Amino acid sequence: MTTPTGKVASGRRTVFSEVMEGALRLAGEDGERPMRLELTASLPGMLRPWGDVEGELSGRVRVPGWADDHAAGSLRVAPVAARQIRYTLEFIAGDGRRLRLDGWKTVRAGRPVRSMTVLPLTVTDADGAVVGEARLRFDVRRDMARFLRGFRFPGPDPMRSRWRGQAGRLEVWYTTLTDPATGTGVWIHHELVAPDEGEARAHGWAAVFPPGETPVFGRFGPFGWSHSEDADFAAGPVVQGGGRLTGAAGAISWDLRESGGGPPLFTFPRWAWRSEVLPAAQIVPKPAAAYDGAVRFGGRTLELDGARGASARIYGHGNARRWAWLHADLGGGDVCEIVAAVSTRPGMDRLPPLPFVRLRVDGVELPGGDPLLAALRLRAGIGLPVWTVHGRIGDRRIHVRVTLPQDETVSVDYADPDGAPAVCHNSERADVRIVLARLAGRGWETEREWRLDGTGHAEVGLR
Amino acid sequence: MSALTGTVAALLGIEDAGDLARVSARAEAIGRALPAPARLGLRAGAGTLDTLSRLATGHRLDDLDADRRDAFCALLTSREPAARLVETLKIPLLLAAGTELLPIPGAAGEPRPDAPLDCTPSGEWPACSTADAVVIGSGAGGAMAARTLARRGMSVVIMEEGRRFAVAEFRDRPPLDRFLDLYRDGGSSMALGRPPVLLPEGRAVGGTTVVNSGTCYRTPGRVLRRWAALGVPVEDFGGHLDEVEATLRVARQPVGPLGRNGLLALEGAERLGWRAAPLRRNAPDCVGSGQCAAGCPHNAKYGVHLNALPQACAAGARIVTRARAERILVERGVAVGVRAHRPDGTALEILTPRVVVAAGATQTPLLLRRSGLGGHPELGRGMAVHPATNVAGRFAEPVVSWSGVMQSVGIEELHGDGILIEATASPPGMSSFPLPGAGRSLRRELEDADRLAVLGAMIADAPSGRVHGARHRALVRYDLAGEDAARLRRALVAMGRILFAAGAAEVLTGLPRRPVARDEAELTHAVAMASAADLHLAGFHPTGTAKLGAGEARAPVDPSGRLRGVRGVHIADASVLPSCPEVNPQLTIMAMALRIAEGIE
Repeated sequence: MTTPTGKVASGRRTVFSEVMEGALRLAGEDGERPMRLELTASLPGMLRPWGDVEGELSGRVRVPGWADDHAAGSLRVAPVAARQIRYTLEFIAGDGRRLRLDGWKTVRAGRPVRSMTVLPLTVTDADGAVVGEARLRFDVRRDMARFLRGFRFPGPDPMRSRWRGQAGRLEVWYTTLTDPATGTGVWIHHELVAPDEGEARAHGWAAVFPPGETPVFGRFGPFGWSHSEDADFAAGPVVQGGGRLTGAAGAISWDLRESGGGPPLFTFPRWAWRSEVLPAAQIVPKPAAAYDGAVRFGGRTLELDGARGASARIYGHGNARRWAWLHADLGGGDVCEIVAAVSTRPGMDRLPPLPFVRLRVDGVELPGGDPLLAALRLRAGIGLPVWTVHGRIGDRRIHVRVTLPQDETVSVDYADPDGAPAVCHNSERADVRIVLARLAGRGWETEREWRLDGTGHAEVGLR
Repeated sequence: MSALTGTVAALLGIEDAGDLARVSARAEAIGRALPAPARLGLRAGAGTLDTLSRLATGHRLDDLDADRRDAFCALLTSREPAARLVETLKIPLLLAAGTELLPIPGAAGEPRPDAPLDCTPSGEWPACSTADAVVIGSGAGGAMAARTLARRGMSVVIMEEGRRFAVAEFRDRPPLDRFLDLYRDGGSSMALGRPPVLLPEGRAVGGTTVVNSGTCYRTPGRVLRRWAALGVPVEDFGGHLDEVEATLRVARQPVGPLGRNGLLALEGAERLGWRAAPLRRNAPDCVGSGQCAAGCPHNAKYGVHLNALPQACAAGARIVTRARAERILVERGVAVGVRAHRPDGTALEILTPRVVVAAGATQTPLLLRRSGLGGHPELGRGMAVHPATNVAGRFAEPVVSWSGVMQSVGIEELHGDGILIEATASPPGMSSFPLPGAGRSLRRELEDADRLAVLGAMIADAPSGRVHGARHRALVRYDLAGEDAARLRRALVAMGRILFAAGAAEVLTGLPRRPVARDEAELTHAVAMASAADLHLAGFHPTGTAKLGAGEARAPVDPSGRLRGVRGVHIADASVLPSCPEVNPQLTIMAMALRIAEGIE
């Protein structure tokens, strides 16, 4: 996100919510209708009153009997620099018309409170014809305290590229999803490799896993890397960013829209992702996303409508010496994410695999503390076709068993930034069994159990 | 009865109670239409006369009988300061009397229908809106700029302070009512100086083109050469003039509806062997109603409200009426929109990356100053107004100068010396020509007014005017240059010669000390003896308050029409003309606006 002056904002954002109420007068109507806007703004950088920033605006437009819809658009906040706070929103009215709301507060030094709390808005249709005019007001007495309490300053978008030109880095964006209608899995892997010597390159692959069939696999790239403001990853025809994935790899092409996703899941500790002190770290910015669009592979088209999946990220110095990964969608926004890996660093490569486990159930994350400390109480057995993780999570015991069907697994060769080869075995048809047990009396009592038959997303990397 | 009624009765020599009531009511109406300072002046003037009457006669003005009123008028006009006050008060009173006491020719036949315009009153325009371009002012310059931009596919909003006038109003309402509505400040705008210059400006959808005389001169070659030397690109100006002429359907006025006033001018010029011809006008179907100055009752005159504006609207432009541009919104040196006020005081804002200012030569500098864009030291300075004066010739036969084409014949014999004579006769009372005398003698002049033929002359003047003020009221100062006063004197004599040559028994000079000349020698003497302050002047063409030119220090506007020091503000009205255009400027302004608008990115 950039400011109108073209300056790249810092990674931190300002998020706040605002409610305004007033009246809407529709063209051709004598009376006024009550109107309410409930908005959440997300602006780049720390909000400074003297600055000039533009960011995303989303929320709800409510005009009883006429419109009650989700609205999205943009907000410009420049109360001093341009004496303007401008709201632009699109929404769909009750009669199905796509309409646009545009209005701004013009800040006047003589009447600062009134000019910053009263918002005149014009509603126009797709042709620009005026549909109505509204006048809304932020109720200072009623809402000011809540408004101020609601300010948040979250960190940078985890989907944005972290690479800043260093040699010997590997950055990955990968999205896995399963079509609920056909059971077909789709895996799209975007990778930026900055080798120890030479130019950075962007490449990747895609695979489709139709049930009971040999997976279809295709690579794209390598392409030169160029930083893009509009996309998280862009290489040749392949673009990921702004909730959209498009591209082509071999016989596969895709055009997908990503929505939802829930709060990011930090498989590796938050501090490890931010500080980059570990050899590599993985997180899942969108652990429970929905995908719409189409994937074409080998002359077939897979139409997706609300397919469940996730988008994950890896950043570090390269692949692990051995590793296993699981993403299990447990339904209803619940997920289980596991990375078990052995580092390539001398000394550390002799240790057993360290399993990082994040289980999000009913909005609660397990284990509760730091994932690295929790990993010390868990054990992993990496192998093919079966790998396992078991151990203690607080006062619970967990057992995870992942089976990668041999016929529905694709093997992909990787090269680390230092040139070392690795082979990764990927499947979106994995069978997964997760058992969570709790101490009851002298024995363990199964608390929750999940079975995924052919819908687990998993991989095993070996050298 | 009030002091004003007494003043009306005394100065206009009205004895009939019914006439007096009607004329007084008109005078009151005029007073109400005037801006506060002029209204105050009118009341104070009438009050002063009333006080003088008490001092001189022991009675209020309206308690005097007709004979004593007349004696009091004679007393007033014999004393210099009082005579000046009488001359000043006569202007609004003659306006009131002229339209009440003299017959107005009716409008016969079907008028041309009004052109379709997309007009929205500002009260119905949303408070927040956006456009690709906003044009401030819908006059000659604004209409042309709006049409050019709209035809390029931009969404254009034209902001107009006045309202739309339909032809039905021009037929049904008395000319005075229209006059007071159609002009800014009821037509009382003045440039202060010695002498003061009346500076009427139209305020309507179509701007001054709704109320001008329709005379269309192409910009003279010598003027264009002068502009080229100032760095103004004029190579393709001829092409732009051609396009404007085609838009306005400019053609030479046929002699048929010319009227006796114009024919007498032609006759006089012919006897003198001077070059003269009916003017080229944008009114091919003119029937000679003589009411150009108060809106054509036949829609025969092609003001821009009948061509460029409807064409702009056909291309998608929209007009907001009754919206007074308050300021241009600027962020970091770039124009981002316009804020305007509705008549009820509420505001509306239109965001746009392009603002075209065409508010007229007196209003454009004010708007720029209100917007914080008036930093250029030359902004508002160097205004030329084409100071104009007129004389009337008394003929034995009725002339009925208000019947026929209002501005009919051009006499270009002295044009090379900067004097352009045009036979111009306004509707009764609306002429700036001051009939001589006061009381019964003035009444007799009024009753005899149909025997007067009127000629007007305007001169190419030095840029002697300046627009002061940064709020809403322009304070215009105009100091007539010495050589311009000499040129005006020469013009007065030349017009007198034409009238005498046409058979006038005597010429009314308009000069307070020697109002009547019976031959050329007397006229020459009267003119030579008159001081510059005695000249009665009107300026119909204020230009050059935001001059266009290559020199950064001299010209606030660059040769492409962009205001210096800010991005996105273009000026496209009479303000940009680099020097006096020496002819009626409508074509020049429109061609210049066309050229500037074509260069807007």
